[in-house]
Amino acid sequence: MTAGRVRAAPRSGTGVSGPRIRPGRRLAWLYAVGRRLPATVAVIVASAAALRIALTAGHWDSYGALQLPLVFETVAATAIVVSTASPFGEPERVAGRWLPVLRLATALALTALAAGALAAAGAGAPLAGGALDVLRNVAGITGLGLLCAALLGGGLAWTGPVAYLMVGAYALYTQWHPPALSTPWIWPARSPHDVGAALCAGLVFLAGLAIATVRGARDPAGE
Amino acid sequence: MTAATAPARSRLAAGRAGLATARLLRLELRHNAMLWLLPVVIAVFWLTTYRKTMALPPLWSPRADSLQTGVVIVFTAPVAGAAAWMGSREARRHVTDLVSVTARPRWARQLASWAATAGWAIVGYLVCLAAVYGVTAHQVHWGGPLWWPAAVTVASLAAVSALGFAAGALLPSRFTAPVVAVAAFFVLALSTQLIVGSQSYWQVSPIATGPWDGGPDPGVATFYPYVPDLAIAQFMFLAGITVAVLGGLALAAGPGGRRLGRPAAAVTAAGLLAAATAAGLAGTGTMDRHGMIAIPALHDAASDRPIPFTPVCSHTTIPVCLNPAFAGYLPATAAALRPVLSQLAGLPGAPARISQAAAVYHQEAGNGVAIGLAGPQLTGTPPVYRLLLPDQLGGPPLTAQAWASQLRIGTGRDIVASVIGAGPGASRAQDAVAAAIMLAAGVDPAVPIPGSPPPRNGGPRPSPGLALGSPGLAAAQRFAARPAATRHAWLVQHLAALRAGQVTVAQLP
Repeated sequence: MTAGRVRAAPRSGTGVSGPRIRPGRRLAWLYAVGRRLPATVAVIVASAAALRIALTAGHWDSYGALQLPLVFETVAATAIVVSTASPFGEPERVAGRWLPVLRLATALALTALAAGALAAAGAGAPLAGGALDVLRNVAGITGLGLLCAALLGGGLAWTGPVAYLMVGAYALYTQWHPPALSTPWIWPARSPHDVGAALCAGLVFLAGLAIATVRGARDPAGE
Repeated sequence: MTAATAPARSRLAAGRAGLATARLLRLELRHNAMLWLLPVVIAVFWLTTYRKTMALPPLWSPRADSLQTGVVIVFTAPVAGAAAWMGSREARRHVTDLVSVTARPRWARQLASWAATAGWAIVGYLVCLAAVYGVTAHQVHWGGPLWWPAAVTVASLAAVSALGFAAGALLPSRFTAPVVAVAAFFVLALSTQLIVGSQSYWQVSPIATGPWDGGPDPGVATFYPYVPDLAIAQFMFLAGITVAVLGGLALAAGPGGRRLGRPAAAVTAAGLLAAATAAGLAGTGTMDRHGMIAIPALHDAASDRPIPFTPVCSHTTIPVCLNPAFAGYLPATAAALRPVLSQLAGLPGAPARISQAAAVYHQEAGNGVAIGLAGPQLTGTPPVYRLLLPDQLGGPPLTAQAWASQLRIGTGRDIVASVIGAGPGASRAQDAVAAAIMLAAGVDPAVPIPGSPPPRNGGPRPSPGLALGSPGLAAAQRFAARPAATRHAWLVQHLAALRAGQVTVAQLP
């Protein structure tokens, strides 16, 4: 953290010149600033806006129409998972009693926001799979990213979702060019009403959420 | 200082600088994110590209094309992401001020970091290339590996890593790497949506290896040399992008003064010029008759001449001869055609040889490509039947059984028709005799050709004169039931009259 940021954080957090902020809200705000949550929200909203523009302005063939939502779902999911990176490292873990609650609440809120924003972006447009597909894919890919965050660190947590994007895009491609990749673990290629795919995506999301809540991202201080 | 010692000191200083650069590069190679991403990338490559590529016929051209497209798609996102991650390293670790006072200028440090990222990506690609080309070398019967697609892929990795690195260096944020990675995938994988026809500037995208939507085609670059025009334009474009981005990094790197600023500006301008020229050249390309993109300014007329070859032939009654690149297909082709050829051997006008021909390609509306045979099927004296294997006709891949069926039923029927003169405008007797020969060869003439659209209105018979219960079908069944020697003798005696339309159905034995 630079000297400028150190000076900036208390001003915005404590409201020196404004009204007093309750400790819980102050903690939440400091956590949000430390995890760059405003920027995360901006990336999610931008990805939803880009999806809307692409759906309404572009003329996509079968491959493009199917793969397009997955690309933007991955952008939103990677934004969520890189926000798990902590700039404080070990000192925060020792001192932060409420960290698990904040991690859980943040991951759930951001995932809901991403799914909602992307589904809203596809409303009234030819969104392949519909809102149910968006919810499943965003949750599953975010779960995968949270697992990567625990394993690789928040900064590199995007690698898992990006690798999965390529596998998912290829699985969608094989629907025209058999043999198709049809395992439910590659849920983007399954129908939105496929129970097996939904279970796999849900399982990965819950596993990622649990590990991210309990352990957080594996981050060296200074990254 | 004497005149003699000055050059010696200069050489010593240059040697030390080279050693320091090598040490810096070694450090960057050891601490590069791309190295740790390589196992993931290679695993995804195996899942999405290797299996698909190796399922193609063992020919250099389709496998090289498939490998180029697949590797560019698989490597782009991780390489761009890793490069952005490395590019943002100094800002991410808040050491920008600290390293700015080191002996090396910022651009030199960035160049070493970029080179390490691109180097690891290229090493990963070379592993994939060695796997595909190594296995293919043991499977192919003719020809050699294509290196232009490999050069384009290497240039792609260099360009993508340069773009990613520049994004990371200029916009250092924890979001840069993932956003750049996905954006790179989006731009490359979905840029093909913009390709319409063979004259498209977007063909400069390195995932296009030929006419888009044509896919890897076994008939391309087999009878005629591989045309590297598009690959040259793509290489030029990607090299230009790389040079321009690296030059732009030097411009943005801060203090360097005129010593660095002017050369960097010149390099950036040269790179942009090269990239724009290459994109312009790609837009002038057209699909040639051999299924490849020819760019007039880059085209070598020598590549329009067919490759001389000695065909490989079967020992059937009528030899089946294939291009040596398709030698592996010979046993299956001969076995599929043997029943029909044994019926025709010795007849007047029967082909002396079945010889594989090159397909010709025509651009249709949009991205459609029509593939066919140039000229008549039966040519020369003695007549030679010119054959296109099912693989040469494009379309979805066939199972071995469907492939053999298409050859036995479709090509067999065409060979018989070319000898008897059956087909549109033929007499009912000609159609009946052709059907009889197919029946005698063990092929029901009502069976549709695998892969062909089903007949409309449920009409199963290939000819209206051979409908169920018709005199034509009865005559065909009667003629097919005759002993082979009787049929053969009758055909030898009456084939000329039959072809001239002077024989009626009632006159068939």
